[in-house]
Parts: sequence; C-alpha cells; structure tokens
Amino acid sequence: MRDDDEAGGSGELFDEGPFDRGTDEDAGEQSRTEDELRQAAAILDPVPAELRRIAVEAYALHDLDARIAELTFDSLVDAIPVRGVADPPRMLTFHTGELTVDVEVTPHGLMGQLLPPQEASIEVLSGPRAGARLTADDLGRFIGDPPPAGPFALRLRTGDEVVVTEWLRA
Amino acid sequence: MDRSDVGALVQSAVDGDAAAWKALVEGLSPLVWSVVRAHRLSDADGHEVYQTAWFRFAQHLGRIREPDKAGSWLASTTRHECLKVIKSAKRLTPTDDPQVLDRVSEDRTPEQSVLDSEEAAAQSERVRFLWQEFETLGERCRQLLRVLIASPPPSYQEVSAALGIAVGSIGPMRQRCLRRLRAKLIARGAL
Repeated sequence: MRDDDEAGGSGELFDEGPFDRGTDEDAGEQSRTEDELRQAAAILDPVPAELRRIAVEAYALHDLDARIAELTFDSLVDAIPVRGVADPPRMLTFHTGELTVDVEVTPHGLMGQLLPPQEASIEVLSGPRAGARLTADDLGRFIGDPPPAGPFALRLRTGDEVVVTEWLRA
Repeated sequence: MDRSDVGALVQSAVDGDAAAWKALVEGLSPLVWSVVRAHRLSDADGHEVYQTAWFRFAQHLGRIREPDKAGSWLASTTRHECLKVIKSAKRLTPTDDPQVLDRVSEDRTPEQSVLDSEEAAAQSERVRFLWQEFETLGERCRQLLRVLIASPPPSYQEVSAALGIAVGSIGPMRQRCLRRLRAKLIARGAL
C-alpha cells in the first residue's frame, strides 16, 4: 500500500539542496535502516504479552444484540475548563435512538440519569468478565462506586432492550 | 497477516470465528501499540488506551462501515484516546527512555531470543545503539518512524489515521527522517 512513495521525489530536491538528491541507492539504504529499526522495536518495545492476551479475550465483548450508545459529550474534550476547579467531575453523555444516558464520574463514585426516565438494571463492565450491578430507579437515577481503573462501559437492560455505552477510560 | 486480508478477517470474526479475531489481534496490535508509544504516554495510561481501543473495536465489530480499513479505524481510535490522555494533563507522565531500553519482556519473541546467544552480543549492542539514536530524533520524526516500524508494516492510510497527517506527506517525511537517522549513525561511526 506504499502507493505514494513517488510523492517523496519532488520535495526532496528542495529540502537538502542539489548535492543531496534522493537516489535509488538512498532509498535502498533507507529501507534497510527502517527494517533494522523495525527489528529493534520488536526486541526493545514489543506489545506486552499481557496486552496481547487482553485483546484476544476482548472478542467476548462483541455483542450483536446490544445497541451501542455513542459517546456524544465528554467533558474532557468538549467542556470549557472552569478556572480554579482543580479536579472537575468527568461528565459523559451517551445517545442511542431515543435513549440518553448522562453519567458523572468522580473519585467518590458514579452517578447517572436515564432519559426518558425509566427503570433499568445496569452492569458496570471493566472487561470481558462480569462487573458490579446497579439499578436505575423509576426516575432513571442510578449511583454506584467509581468504576475500577481502566476502560469501562455500562450495559443497561431496560424494559425491552439491551444498550451498551461505548468503551472509554474513566 | 496481509493487509488485504483484514476485511475478510473482520467479516469472519463478525460471523463468530475466534481464530479470525486472533489473527486480527496478531496483525494489528503492533500498530495500536506503536500509536500508544508514538504519543509517549506513561505505561499505565498506554496500557489503558490500548485496551480501550480493542474493547471498542470488539464492540463495533459488526458495525464498522469499511471492514477492510479496520486498521485505520483502530489507529484513529487509539490516537483519539491518546490525545484525551494528553489533554487531561495530570495523567501525562513522559516515558522514561532509559527504562524502555532496560525493559526485558518475560515472553521471548523470536527476535529477542536472537539476543540470548553469545555471538549475538555485538548485534545486541548495535540494536540498542540504533534505538538510542532513534529516541533522540526530533519529536515528529520519532512519532512517524515509531508507527512506520510496527510489524507487520502499516499501510500509509493507517499511518495517516494514527498520526493525523496527510497520506501524501508520509513518503517525503519518512525519507527525511530516515536520512536524519542515518546521518546521526554515520556521525557516531555506526554506519
């Protein structure tokens, strides 16, 4: 897929002056250096085996029956920082169809609100294994402990459907 | 894994083929890792970003619009998560480079086993030297090369998604950066 190598040609002439034009020999030597560097990366900075294993196990998270509630607001990205507030809570909003899930994460816990208000059983996922269970009351409110370190998602079972929020780091 | 197999592997994984998923992990996790490393996150943050990217990929598996570009999807998701970490500055702890050099993985890859043999000591020295020089490149070059040297090599589309740079600028930048690295090595008498 290196289909744009030719793009390198024209720019080179101006970068380094007329005495250092890219030649075929250069290209060969550069490829060799890149290959050597690739080998060095495989030796000195490989994907940790533990992470490889976690990615393989993540296959269990694929669930065609659940609807995905997309992250549509993340205070980390979308909010204007408030001067003087050192550690503001993380506010997240997820959407799918008619359902909105607002979540607030602080070091003290997790708080949320389903809209339109409705009861739901909620599981706090932190990976392929079962997580803590919460319940949203008839006003759609739920609270729980802070999610464990690492990525988390909420699996919500409302009256007639299962919704999973997009994975993210708290 | 050939990059041209990605679309078919994604489809097989959607259909329930765990081996296809494993092949995707084998083929694309070095790319995801390279994006994490290119952004110089702390180990803890890097590990979480890597996991988030794979969890999201698994979650979106049957819904990815262009399955043959799953590598770009993963690279872009990883970049996005890296930028979030960098944005929440309190989490930002630059990687301690010498520590990377000293790190020895418990699981020996074939490449690592090469280093075990005594006659390979010289080569080992050279690998470390090369890596050291690579680490002292300018930030843009270090980032670009770190992603380019993922194994198997990523496509330019994937590199573009990983770093938010135009596909057309990758070729020229790559040449410049490799030329610069070679100049450093020559200056140190290593070439």
